[in-house]
Amino acid sequence: MRGLLTQLQVVYALLLRETKTRFGASHLGYLWAMVPSAAWILMFAGMYRIFGRLAPPGTSTMGFLATGIVTFSAFRETATRCMSAIEANKGLLFYPQVRPLDLVVARAVLEIATHVILMVLFLGGAALIDGVPRINSMLETLVGLGLASGLGASLGLVCCGLSVYAQTVERVFGTVMRFIFWTSALFHPLESLPKAGRDVLLWNPVAHTVETVRSGWFPGYDARHVNVWYPLVWILGLTFFGLSLERMARRRLELS
Amino acid sequence: MIELENVSKAYATRSGANQVLDAVSFSFPAHTNIGILGKNGAGKSTLLRIIAGTEQADSGQIRRAGVVSWPIGFSGGFSGSLTGEENCRFVARIYGADLDEVVGFTADFAELRDYFYMPVKTYSSGMRARLAFGLSMAIAFDAYLVDEVTAVGDAQFQAKCREAFEARSGRSSVIIVSHNLSTVRDYCQRCLVLKGGKLLSFDSVDEATRAYEAA
Repeated sequence: MRGLLTQLQVVYALLLRETKTRFGASHLGYLWAMVPSAAWILMFAGMYRIFGRLAPPGTSTMGFLATGIVTFSAFRETATRCMSAIEANKGLLFYPQVRPLDLVVARAVLEIATHVILMVLFLGGAALIDGVPRINSMLETLVGLGLASGLGASLGLVCCGLSVYAQTVERVFGTVMRFIFWTSALFHPLESLPKAGRDVLLWNPVAHTVETVRSGWFPGYDARHVNVWYPLVWILGLTFFGLSLERMARRRLELS
Repeated sequence: MIELENVSKAYATRSGANQVLDAVSFSFPAHTNIGILGKNGAGKSTLLRIIAGTEQADSGQIRRAGVVSWPIGFSGGFSGSLTGEENCRFVARIYGADLDEVVGFTADFAELRDYFYMPVKTYSSGMRARLAFGLSMAIAFDAYLVDEVTAVGDAQFQAKCREAFEARSGRSSVIIVSHNLSTVRDYCQRCLVLKGGKLLSFDSVDEATRAYEAA
């Protein structure tokens, strides 16, 4: 019980510290977190306008793009930050009560919190442009976003463990992320795809989280093939694998 | 009180395993300052890190009663982009200590003045060491683990450190590893010598230093 309390204390301290190092460097601070997602959303919104493409029925262009891009960003940013968590904070392992896993957990929590705020801001912004929507289920939206971050955190944990052994992980990571970006239903609802294409995309757990977010936000959004348990199984599997790697890598980390 | 029981640690080297600690057993009594002498590379710092829990032993048991410090030395534990104050707040938080007290004490003790509120990466190595030392003094440990205290600051700062330890002598103990005889004589009531992976115990500091010098 005492151990758990210490761990919570450590994660809380790390969380405040991460917030400062991540957002404290500039006076605009937290605003910078919005820039990448905002740029993507505006760019695609512009392209939709130019090519006269319409968002799927029952959604708005801004809302549709924001639900996709912010959810994907929650996945990717959490994975990226968690992956470098140990490398960036190795010095802190010097304090006996700080364990490698705490570093990863603190970063994951910060990313989840950041993306919940981003989602609120962007969907709020979309509502200003498109009119206030009738929300289907706030809970479902949050579950989808949480699952996306969870996938990112567990993948980051695995990469973190692997990178102790192989430097190539970071290079492969970028390629994998690009692949996931184009197969996560960010620009086409799964139901609008032909069956063959949809069946392939349904293997991608991130696509399930994106569609869960949308199905929570837009009333009547058709997400009949989406399953929230599927990404959850991925999270559990990756976490299990990542924790095993951490156990094996522990000794190596101490030496460096 | 800290107890080591059959603690072993080896590092892999090109010519096979280097047995730094070979089934070391010792019971460090409470409220007694203990010096551990050893030549360079004898494994002093490794022993200290294992006592602190920063590093795991290959085998054996370590039992700690009370709060044991991290290995206090001239390096480690600060992030360069944060200020001295922010680093202090972080450490106070992970030890569950009072933030204002720790920050106030450290600012006063480390004598960094304006630098205390500047990023640690702008510090000289002496300033870093003073910050580290002041910070460790600000937290009430039952045992302070010190790595080469002589490296910290000038004579005046040294005297201050000694006073700080003396003020705590009733409540906490100090374990110092060093290759410097006078440091150990100044601080410690008992002295051990680390040699060939074994921790040798002596009845008096004089005996230990004689054995150390003979080696």
